Amino acid sequence: MLAIEAKGLTKRYTGAFGRNAQDALRGLDLAIPRGAAFGLIGPNGAGKTTFVKALLGVVHPTAGEVRLLGGAPSDPRIRARVGYLPERLRLPPAWTPLEILESVSRLKGLRPRTADLLALVEDVGLAEAARRRTGGFSKGMKQRLGLAVALLGEPDLLVLDEPTDGLDPLGRVHVRSLLARALARGATLLLNSHLLAETERVCGRIGVLVKGRIVREGPLEALAPPPAAWRVRFEPGADGAALQAAGFTNGVAGAETTYRFAGPDAAALNAALDRARAAGALLAELSPEGTDLEAVYAQAVKA
Amino acid sequence: MTSSPGNVLAVARDLLREARARRWTLALLAGVTALLLLAAFGLELEVVDGALAASRFFGRPSHGGITAADVALRPLFEAVAYMVFYGGTLFGVLACADFAPALLAPGRIEHLLSLPVRRAELVLGTFLGVELLVLAGAVYGGLGLALIVAAKTGVFGWAPVAAAALGAVGFTGVYAVMMAAAMVARSAALSAAAGAVVWVAGIVAGNRAAIAPLFEPGLARAVFLALTAPLPRLSELGRHAARVANGLPLDPAQLAVQAGGTALFAAAALAVALALFERKDF
Repeated sequence: MLAIEAKGLTKRYTGAFGRNAQDALRGLDLAIPRGAAFGLIGPNGAGKTTFVKALLGVVHPTAGEVRLLGGAPSDPRIRARVGYLPERLRLPPAWTPLEILESVSRLKGLRPRTADLLALVEDVGLAEAARRRTGGFSKGMKQRLGLAVALLGEPDLLVLDEPTDGLDPLGRVHVRSLLARALARGATLLLNSHLLAETERVCGRIGVLVKGRIVREGPLEALAPPPAAWRVRFEPGADGAALQAAGFTNGVAGAETTYRFAGPDAAALNAALDRARAAGALLAELSPEGTDLEAVYAQAVKA
Repeated sequence: MTSSPGNVLAVARDLLREARARRWTLALLAGVTALLLLAAFGLELEVVDGALAASRFFGRPSHGGITAADVALRPLFEAVAYMVFYGGTLFGVLACADFAPALLAPGRIEHLLSLPVRRAELVLGTFLGVELLVLAGAVYGGLGLALIVAAKTGVFGWAPVAAAALGAVGFTGVYAVMMAAAMVARSAALSAAAGAVVWVAGIVAGNRAAIAPLFEPGLARAVFLALTAPLPRLSELGRHAARVANGLPLDPAQLAVQAGGTALFAAAALAVALALFERKDF
């Protein structure tokens, strides 16, 4: 069962009289299974926001087809099952969070009790501001409120555009826990973010969008290139000359006990570690370099 | 495409709730209240056995001789009818120019379109909300004045209320064009300008029979008559309001034609607004 399915999705923006045509999406194909946490990444102008808007019927595709939760985005019954947080959500400044949630509830055909709405406001960390006008909210508070709006009614599909933008580190942790809870109940997540570390932490599947096309797609571990090097930290007291003789280079500035081992070869690494241990060094930490989302992104964009 | 009345009403309700905090709405409320207070405290009417013996405005005599109160008050009601009709519709143009552009603001429209609301429901709900706002403002002023005069004279006249209702009918055509303009370009200034043009053109159209002879017979006159033919007859509706105020009999058929024509014009302009909105990407 697919939560999102796009086939040959194309969007061409044209100016007056058909001039200055720009292709935002060029035959994009994508299938996101239900229950997945999917991160969409790509450079500026790659078409990420246009894709999200096409999903929700905010822009009309020039060609191709898109289906959400098995139906067309134009069907209000389908959109009722979607929670969306736009990148720059603008809400009436004179309204309070409770009033905003009441309004969205009405438009979604929900009839929640005030206590439920208050619980949701509390969930996103706005309990003390539940009855304050949103006009005076900080960017982070608006973002939290937008997230509450998206989570209202426990939607089957969450489409979030930069959900942690403007949030402090603890706020980001909090948002991740909210998203984890939504995923645990079976919701599908489409996360569009420039923050690769956030995307990596939340999403199990990644799609890299470049010039209107998905150029890489799949689980992060399958997309990641082999490590370019290994970073190895030894317990203090290890003999530096012996470690260098074992094949490690002392190339990490400011971290005297941290060394690098060049190349992806695991067998060569293990042999070098055996030599280091034989010289009395104790391994404290080992991590690959160049296998994170940043590496996937860089490789996909350069290709 | 079918629309849910529930969603249209929900959008209209949200608009009214949003309007509460807008300075233009507060200005409308304050202005109407100030006029009512002026009438309540400044207008002295002496009624003896159902006849108006004297009237003073802030102590200055404005009426002498003994006349039946309802007859004596007709000029006042007529003036109020015109003021409510033209003042109300023009103020409505200014006060409501920002509603549609605000609805289409980036960050807001994407969110609204992602909800299970059809585009037609957003357009109709916004239109209905603005109409209700204008009607409420006009009825507040009209009914308030009628009640003040009734308290002072014992004569209750529906004229100000009727003028308010006719003003709201006339405003349908004006606001529908304002919405269509907002769909072309998201600008409160453009929306207000479009409303002002229709307001003036509606006054001209209501007097087209009198103005047409000023054009040379032939092409110029034909063009003038053709251009003004589809426009709402705002000044005709205003005259109907004044006739009600003056206690003169109304021509129901004529009134139905004017009101129906205005509604038809509004429906056509709304259809254009909706067609533009349906095709628009945000």
